Amino acid sequence: MTARLKDRTLKALSLLLSYPTRDLQRAMPEIGGALAAETRLTAVARRDLRPLVEALAASDIYELEEQYVMLFDRSRTLSLNLFEHVHGESRDRGGAMVSLVETYREGGFDPATSELPDHLPVLLEFLATRPEGEAREVLADAAHIFEVLRERLLRRDSAYTAVFAALTQLAGGTADAEIVQDLLAQPEADPNDLEALDAVWEESEVRFGPDPNAGCPQVRDMLARMDMPAKPAPDLAAE
Amino acid sequence: MSNLLDRLNFLQSRELEQFSGGHGQVTKENRGWEDTYRNRWRHDKIVRSTHGVNCTGSCSWKIYVKSGIVTWETQQTDYPRTRAGLPNHEPRGCARGASYSWYLYSANRVKNPLVRGRLMKVWRELRQTKTPIEAWTAIQSDPILRSSYVTTRGKGGFVRASWDEATEIVAAANAYTAKKYGPDRIFGFSPIPAMSMISYAAGTRYLSLLGGTCMSFYDWYCDLPPASPMTWGEQTDVPESADWYNAGYLLLWGSNVPQTRTPDAHFYTEARYRGTKSAVICPDYSEAAKFGDVWLNPKQGTDAALAMAFGHVILREFHLDRQAEYFEDYCRKYSDFPMLVKLEEKDGRLVPGRFLRADDLKGKLGAKNNPEWKTVAWDEVSGGLVAPNGSVGYRWGDQGEWNLEERAGKADTRLKMSFILDEDHDSVATVDFPYFGGAATPAFATGQTHPDVLPRNVPVKTIRTAAGNVRVATVFDLFCANYGLDRGLGGDWVAKIYDADVPGTPAWAEKITGVARDKIVHVAREFAQTAEKTGGKSMVILGAGLNHWYHMDMNYRGIINMLVMCGCVGQSGGGWSHYVGQEKLRPQTGWLPLAFALDWGRPPRHMNSTSAWYAHADQWRYETLTAGEILSPTAPEGDWDISMIDYNIRAERMGWLPSAPQLRTNPLEVAKAAKAAGKDVPAYVAEQLTSGALEMSCQDPDAPENWPRNLFVWRSNLLGSSGKGHEYFLRHLLGTDNGVLGKDLGEEGRQKPKEAVWHDDAPKGKLDLLVTIDFRMSTTCVYSDIVLPTASWYEKNDLNTSDMHPFIHPLQAAVDPAYESKSDWEIFKSIAKKFQEVAPEILGQETDIVALPILHDTPAEVAQDQVKDWKRGECDLIPGKTAPNYIAVERDYTAIYDRFVALGPLLDKLGNGGKGIGWKTDHEVEALRKLNGVWQDGPAEGCAKIVTDIDATEVVLMLAPETNGEVAVKAWEALSKATGREHAHLALPKEDEKIRFRDIAAQPRKIISSPTWSGIESEEVCYNAGYTNVHELIPWRTLTGRQQLYQDHLWMRAFGEGFMSYRPPVDLKTITEAVNTDRGQPHVVLNFITPHQKWGIHSTYTDNLLMLTLNRGGPVIWISENDAKTAGIVDNDWVELYNTNGALTARAVVSQRMKDGTTFMYHAQEKIVNTPGSEKTGKRGGIHNSVTRAVLKPTHMIGGYAHQSYGFNYYGTVGSNRDEFVIVRKMRKVDWLDREATQKEAAE
Repeated sequence: MTARLKDRTLKALSLLLSYPTRDLQRAMPEIGGALAAETRLTAVARRDLRPLVEALAASDIYELEEQYVMLFDRSRTLSLNLFEHVHGESRDRGGAMVSLVETYREGGFDPATSELPDHLPVLLEFLATRPEGEAREVLADAAHIFEVLRERLLRRDSAYTAVFAALTQLAGGTADAEIVQDLLAQPEADPNDLEALDAVWEESEVRFGPDPNAGCPQVRDMLARMDMPAKPAPDLAAE
Repeated sequence: MSNLLDRLNFLQSRELEQFSGGHGQVTKENRGWEDTYRNRWRHDKIVRSTHGVNCTGSCSWKIYVKSGIVTWETQQTDYPRTRAGLPNHEPRGCARGASYSWYLYSANRVKNPLVRGRLMKVWRELRQTKTPIEAWTAIQSDPILRSSYVTTRGKGGFVRASWDEATEIVAAANAYTAKKYGPDRIFGFSPIPAMSMISYAAGTRYLSLLGGTCMSFYDWYCDLPPASPMTWGEQTDVPESADWYNAGYLLLWGSNVPQTRTPDAHFYTEARYRGTKSAVICPDYSEAAKFGDVWLNPKQGTDAALAMAFGHVILREFHLDRQAEYFEDYCRKYSDFPMLVKLEEKDGRLVPGRFLRADDLKGKLGAKNNPEWKTVAWDEVSGGLVAPNGSVGYRWGDQGEWNLEERAGKADTRLKMSFILDEDHDSVATVDFPYFGGAATPAFATGQTHPDVLPRNVPVKTIRTAAGNVRVATVFDLFCANYGLDRGLGGDWVAKIYDADVPGTPAWAEKITGVARDKIVHVAREFAQTAEKTGGKSMVILGAGLNHWYHMDMNYRGIINMLVMCGCVGQSGGGWSHYVGQEKLRPQTGWLPLAFALDWGRPPRHMNSTSAWYAHADQWRYETLTAGEILSPTAPEGDWDISMIDYNIRAERMGWLPSAPQLRTNPLEVAKAAKAAGKDVPAYVAEQLTSGALEMSCQDPDAPENWPRNLFVWRSNLLGSSGKGHEYFLRHLLGTDNGVLGKDLGEEGRQKPKEAVWHDDAPKGKLDLLVTIDFRMSTTCVYSDIVLPTASWYEKNDLNTSDMHPFIHPLQAAVDPAYESKSDWEIFKSIAKKFQEVAPEILGQETDIVALPILHDTPAEVAQDQVKDWKRGECDLIPGKTAPNYIAVERDYTAIYDRFVALGPLLDKLGNGGKGIGWKTDHEVEALRKLNGVWQDGPAEGCAKIVTDIDATEVVLMLAPETNGEVAVKAWEALSKATGREHAHLALPKEDEKIRFRDIAAQPRKIISSPTWSGIESEEVCYNAGYTNVHELIPWRTLTGRQQLYQDHLWMRAFGEGFMSYRPPVDLKTITEAVNTDRGQPHVVLNFITPHQKWGIHSTYTDNLLMLTLNRGGPVIWISENDAKTAGIVDNDWVELYNTNGALTARAVVSQRMKDGTTFMYHAQEKIVNTPGSEKTGKRGGIHNSVTRAVLKPTHMIGGYAHQSYGFNYYGTVGSNRDEFVIVRKMRKVDWLDREATQKEAAE
């Protein structure tokens, strides 16, 4: 399989975001080395990755695992399943996942993992087998998610922040700020990040009276929301 | 992709070919965009499945799968047609079900087996040098190691584990526990098997092979209405929802059909088009209220008063002033109204006593078989006393006359209902009836002054018994007196007019309930008139709201009385429709052997959860309700001044309730000792218990030897949903952070129990291991030591039935289980396999001793016609008669897996059956061998295989009369032996029908009529409970064999519930001076009610963002405008609710819907979603059950007494929770507690 890997950096980042194991710990020097040598990353980005690399190499494995489960398995807002952030619990999610699987298959791979296709380490591994330009385009499509995850992890002072900073750089450096802001402003279910939730709780006020043509405000609001296009999935299938 | 540039947007070419005379046209524009659209909705396959555990809807769904991924679901529309004139069942489904596919890929899904990190670390270290058993032993023997993970429960800290590791820990813990303490210390809790029978059975089959304890759920949820077994000897049996359509009059009482019965609600709507009138009774303006032609809104908790007033009107106008012929005839044949009750003297006054029995009379009316269990009535044909057929005395022993023919033995009879005529009674006696209305707490007090005993005049006959002359009255005459009806006999506390303020009248009820008297009279009259004209087509649909009050039996019996008085039970379009919780497992008798491993060993070990959690979450240590507060002023002499746990202990030792953990000594050791002593197990245990050498565990629930040690929770969110007394669970059973705000009896200096041993230091953390199996990270998962990821409802094969419709249909694996998850069947199989590998180090072939309570529907149920306690020397300890039976069961701990996957030999040997009848089933077992294959060697050689979940479904379908016509015929024939009547005609037309799993995968199938149920499946009538009792003359399984409206057990009389009456909610005393820190600040004290919600099914879906968004995104409580004003709360404020039990936080919904004085918190909103910290406890706000505590009621412990005998989920203590009050106040500061626990905090 290694023969087909074109991009060791993406593979390394995929590993950094995988569930920590002793094997991973043992491989950390090599992984750290690959990242340190990556010239597409700025010196700052490479330096910022070091604490995570060191922690993964040297910390107590149980602490690492607990931390990983708490961050990525237990917190919706930090889910490594990309479509959680794009489609949430909407019906589009199944369809998006199907296109992604088909993309993998077109690329000559069948997923051989219990993880879902949109799991970021899976995607990164796939991209590590693709031509650089194509990989960058796909990453660029997801850049806003990386930026959001980076921001959320930063708030938690997590060493994993650096991985997403690196991914943003590899994606070409610019996430659409507007989308990022939208996502960050989006209401969240996570008790750890709840400022924005209040907005959802507010129901529009019912007004009886002057404008009989305005209709029911709830319906009006709902229709307005329906008119807004659902955020498109990163259209990987089309590439 | 966009084809925008390639195609015309606004113009269309005109030069096109036409065909079909200009009606058709060939177009040339680019249609690539259509492919995009088609692909979007393309799918590879559609699979039939449904939604699993706790939804009663049982709707069949189409699951769409594309490239191995579930993309969406839609409702199935292929239910078999109903007959002409009746609407079809579809569409069935609701918003919750339609959102389920999103659960599969939700970030909240449990992806891998998770183990508490500290436990995993220790385990791996120990496992390097030790065997699994040694490793677990080392952890449990070291208090520091044990508490290192026990005290961190609920505080994060999970790591992933492999299946191999996780199951190894579980297996080692189970084996260690069985060896050290006994297999009965391994508990398992899972609810509502009907909705996914195989998944339930997987766990209970494993536990039962081990000798573990399977815990009940229906009673614990408080959905079990004890009034049903009291009246009918039936757990719960109800009409299917289609039968609503046949009703003439529909009373919706505390049931919010459009909100909580969404898929069935259409029948309610359609019935109105047919002309059915409907009255809706609920305190709040619910969604159902708007369906009512009339809406009555009684004060919460006073429904019994309303029911009593309805009954008063019905009796007055349809039984006394005028006798409706249909009602009279029905009641004489089908109720206990004609049965005679002895009037017993106490201090020179008379109270209703026991039913007169054949045994009381000289010559016993010729009865040799069970004369003490044959009730007696006055017969007009012979002009004397008779013991009418059908009472429980006819059921057991000599058989053939257990029926409702109008006979006594072979002689024709016509029973007399009343002695009101001068020539019929010898005298008029004044009989005392208890009155509890005066004992209301301030929140329910009305200012009416009535004494606590109401003497009323009743016509009586004096008859000669073996013990001298006694006065007797008919149940009907006493019943009328109890309802306060003046029958011209003089005396007090009876009324001729409805406006009199006498307990029972509409005027009296108006003051208590707040419902205008004329509305009461109006509804009662219409209800009865309709029933009279239609032959019983008046129906009451009631919800568990009424059943969750401490005195729920009064509410329910009040309603049941109305239905019986009007001849509605057993008539299509009429009857009692309580749709809550148990959710009929239709192929029950086929499922029982699989679920409880009856094919390998009998009996299984069952425990009633309410009593178990009360004892082991140590809720009894905080009990403030004393027996004195609920005892009747007319109670017979007795030692009644004991606490609730003491009553429970007595019930356990008299064999009334189950008992697990059962003995202080490991039952495996007891069996060895019995063998060494050369004694029979029951005799040995009896002797040792009597001498005190053996002790029952129930006496000392806090002694470490008596703790439950391992707990499995699957298909359930015990801690997040059903766990009344949530904070006590956390404190004592789990031993972690909790929000209990009150003090225990010791700290408060209150009277302690007399029977239960008190330890000043309460245990913290009784469980060694808590394992939860779920597909989502529920509140229970968060508190567990091991979380195992299970398949979702679209990822496994299973069976599903409901009481709402007569079909059986499947869950199917549309896709493979996501991530590392496995189906429940595979999970328990893998644990069994691991157990078989690990256990032989310490366990081999062992003899276990199972304590078996006296069970309903078995010959043992005629055990104790008098209450006698062996422990207090009132009788000898006779196992199975005056105490639990103690039965030796052989276990093979080296073959747990081999037995799990094979259909054991006992079905061939002992046959199968249920509800008191049995039949041979070797033919079906042979058919299963052919269908599933046979084990060629090993411990299960020659047995049919049950390897896959589909194999397991076939076992159920093959063995059950409901899905195998041949078995149905056998079952009806078996019943004929008892009744002496021919019943097989009900199943003969379907004798050749055998439903297989692939059949129901193709289409839902209607089940076959079976004697397990009291209704029939027919092309003529809808399923309706009690139908075969009325139309086939099969007795109800009660003492009298009739619908029994008088309960004569000593404890029923002692607690004043011989007859139904109004009992106000009890005082739980949880708003203490000490707890209320808001004195002087705005706050309000409200009655705390937890109805079911619209956007979740219990806690499921309450973590689904779509459903959350449809509500307010997190926990809410409802409060009236006036109460909100008092407490200074405006809509959407964060509020805190608290009392001595604990605290919870939520948003306030201020609504005109609410009645002043109450607050609603929809049942089971997850603690893990959007719940900030509580200012009171400093911890994350609790769940709805944080402010509740289970309180037991002695009358629910009665056993060994015909219909009042124990049955799993049939009878027993129930976890009521609606009498609770809370302080509601606005939160000053909202703290999300969004820091991670520091090491120090976590260690605390």
